[in-house]
Amino acid sequence: MKKEGKKAPVAQKKQSFGVYMKRYWQLYVLLALPMLYLLIFKYVPMIYIQIAFKKYSIVQSVWEMPLAANHGFEYFIKAFKNRDFINALRNTLVLNLLDLVLGFPVPIIFALVLNELVFKRFKRVVQTIAYMPHFLSWVIIYGLALQIFAPSTGFLNMILTGLGFESIPFLNDSAHWVGTYIFLGIWQSFGWNSIVYLAAIAGINSELYEAASVDGAGRFKKMWHITLPGIKPTIVVLLVMNLGNILGSSFDRPFALQNNLVMDSAEVLATFVYKNGIKGLQFSLTTAVGFFQSIVCVIFLLLANWISRKLGERGIW
Amino acid sequence: MKKRLLSVLLTGCMVLSLVACGSDDGGSTAQDSSGTQTTQQDTSAAQDTTEKSDASGDEAAADPTNGELVDGKFAETRKITVEVYDRGNDDGSDPTNNNYTKYIKEQMLAQHNVEVEFVAVPRWTEVEQINNLLAAGDAPDICLTYDYPTVQTYANMGGVLDLSSYVDDYRDLLPNLWNWLGETNIYWDKDPVDGTLWAIEGKRAVTNRINTFVRKDWLDKLGLKEPTTRQEFEDMIIAFRDNADLLLGADADKMIPYSVSFDVGWRAALLIESFIDPDVSDYEYYVNGFDDRALTQNGTKEAIRVLNKWYNDGLLWDDFALYSSGDSTEDDMIKAGYVGAFMHNWDYPYRDGENSIQTNLQRMVGPDAKFVVVDCFEDIKGGHNKFITSSAGDRKIFFPTTNTEPLASMLYLDFISSPEVIQYLQIGEEGVTHNKLEDGTIEIQAATGDDIQNSGFNIDYTITCNGLHLVDDELTLKSMAYSYSGIDPELVEVAHKVCNTDTRPAKNVNVGAIAAEEGQGPTLASKRDVVYDTAVSASVEDFDKVWDAGIADYLSSGGQAIMDERAEKWKATFGDTTALPE
Repeated sequence: MKKEGKKAPVAQKKQSFGVYMKRYWQLYVLLALPMLYLLIFKYVPMIYIQIAFKKYSIVQSVWEMPLAANHGFEYFIKAFKNRDFINALRNTLVLNLLDLVLGFPVPIIFALVLNELVFKRFKRVVQTIAYMPHFLSWVIIYGLALQIFAPSTGFLNMILTGLGFESIPFLNDSAHWVGTYIFLGIWQSFGWNSIVYLAAIAGINSELYEAASVDGAGRFKKMWHITLPGIKPTIVVLLVMNLGNILGSSFDRPFALQNNLVMDSAEVLATFVYKNGIKGLQFSLTTAVGFFQSIVCVIFLLLANWISRKLGERGIW
Repeated sequence: MKKRLLSVLLTGCMVLSLVACGSDDGGSTAQDSSGTQTTQQDTSAAQDTTEKSDASGDEAAADPTNGELVDGKFAETRKITVEVYDRGNDDGSDPTNNNYTKYIKEQMLAQHNVEVEFVAVPRWTEVEQINNLLAAGDAPDICLTYDYPTVQTYANMGGVLDLSSYVDDYRDLLPNLWNWLGETNIYWDKDPVDGTLWAIEGKRAVTNRINTFVRKDWLDKLGLKEPTTRQEFEDMIIAFRDNADLLLGADADKMIPYSVSFDVGWRAALLIESFIDPDVSDYEYYVNGFDDRALTQNGTKEAIRVLNKWYNDGLLWDDFALYSSGDSTEDDMIKAGYVGAFMHNWDYPYRDGENSIQTNLQRMVGPDAKFVVVDCFEDIKGGHNKFITSSAGDRKIFFPTTNTEPLASMLYLDFISSPEVIQYLQIGEEGVTHNKLEDGTIEIQAATGDDIQNSGFNIDYTITCNGLHLVDDELTLKSMAYSYSGIDPELVEVAHKVCNTDTRPAKNVNVGAIAAEEGQGPTLASKRDVVYDTAVSASVEDFDKVWDAGIADYLSSGGQAIMDERAEKWKATFGDTTALPE
């Protein structure tokens, strides 16, 4: 079996591309559109990554711009001497790690729990409600958060003060803010993220559960020995992808949620780049930061993938 | 058969989209290259004119345009684009298309054969937006911003046209511009060393800046007098706090005795300035003065200490730092009548006609409710030191290098500076936007539909003029108080008088470009807000620690470098004197 399997691709390779093209041209044409999209919107803009190594000018084309000092690494040096950058780097790492540690298991648990629900209609209602926050923009979520968490006018704090407690600075104290940030992030995304796990659970062979029942396994045993192993590949793939994004950050979430009082822990790389690059016109510096960010992300991705393969999982490629 | 049909269909789609992409690409490249070409032509044309006027003196000066204009008109229609702020007012008119833009377009076409198109830029994110437009090569031909360091940054990248030759060579063609702005505003930003001029300063017709407003009806209810000292102001806001039940009844918990926003430096400016030595030297004020909210001036810290105490005593709005610029929450609270006092632009509660704070307040609270202006922050000499603005320092007008019509653009500036045009744009049509009183005083009426002015006196269109400026100066003074529709003119008169008492006009210190300021404007401004906000809301014990740490961060992030360079350039230009030459 194995030998044959190996042989087949070799034989296929021998056939020329032209033959394939002739036979499956419709498929290639279909493929062309997404390829074109990638080329135009993902690869062509990459030409401008060289801004990181050049002295930016709004009037020159990117090829004409002169190389920055220190063999082009001027702006990387500048970035690492910039306390704001170091601060943003730290915040990005901390917030993303917290997101990962606290936020990653939530959709899995949710999917497991949902899967145990017998009453189908209730399950569907819960699921839909859980998805909903995903479709809210972060600006709206911040608006809601202000209504609920603001120190004097927030609904929650008004109840607390009404009961004679001190109001809790959910949004205006750094440590509390981090908690609020993580909480809102989980609240917004866990329902949506659970879809993948639910799909994976649906793909598990139901005979396994029947067999387990016959063997006398209870709910938790089934969950532990069948469901979890069944969705393990999915979990690993998503974990690897999440790890790859450990230094990446979305812009709208921190930007919408941050305020001047918590800037020391709320400024992340994406907002740093926005403030210094788009607002401050330091395009070279912020491209350097973005470039650095991407490289670290790729390294993490490769590392996580390698580890998962070492541990016997499939990884993402 | 079906399959084949489908594939043919899909292929068709593909081919179409490919063609579309291709032509799109081609279009943009063509535009790009033509853009650069014209810019080159343009610079060479500009050089030509300068060379000519240098070489043949009087003859060339007689016609610096090489016969492009006949009776002030171009032979062929030219096209320019002009930036206009979009304030996103609730019930505003379309800033790029209303009765005022129609007037401008018609007049420009008739007078100069120039077609004008307006490009809306959101007022509260103007710098970011213009950055994007410039970087994309799409910036309007006539750009404006309040932020000079930004212009300087563009200029250093070669993105801005040098206006020095245009204003001088075309001087005879620009009588209105020169009459209105004068050398002071036109040459305000001229580099003393190399003579470049990247921007022209629009002029403030009214140099009023900031006032303190308090609820007169609350004072009356509590039997208090209008405060005349800081102590009395403090006593007043404490009385507001302690009598919340009486003043607001069921809404007592919403009481905000004194409201500041995240922009503490502006919204407590009179308090801050009262702590600055009125005899501060020009040198010291300039060197410490990069931040236009006085963050690094000597004395500011003690002013913020006062605010910090008030904050901790429950006299300020707890949530002030959570709402960012352009948010209307605070205004809404003032309109709803929860706020006892605030500081803002000198006429802030009276602006915006039907939508003004004052009108709304009366509508929601009652006819007695009103904000009056008080003058209560005394300085160490007992006066009420107020740093009013100079005639410049308002909007800066610049042409990006993508502007291929500098002459037409200059003519536009001349047109928009003509007294009649300014008057028309500011007061509109009689019977529609204003009435004439018996003595000729103009009284502004609330307008509707396409006659609505999105900014007070349409300052967004009169880009060289901010503030009421009628053809007749005397009438201007009389009309100012009547220019706020629905507002008691007496309130405006007091506001105008108070903010012109004990003033210290700003002076122009021009020692050339400060390299350290480049690109720092927005970054340091947001740092400044962080310093102010965190210091105000710190606990009283932590105040020194928080303030000092914030200032240290501000200084090491570029603030100190700016101060050092300013000091150095001052010495190079003016020597050891600490006063500006008269």
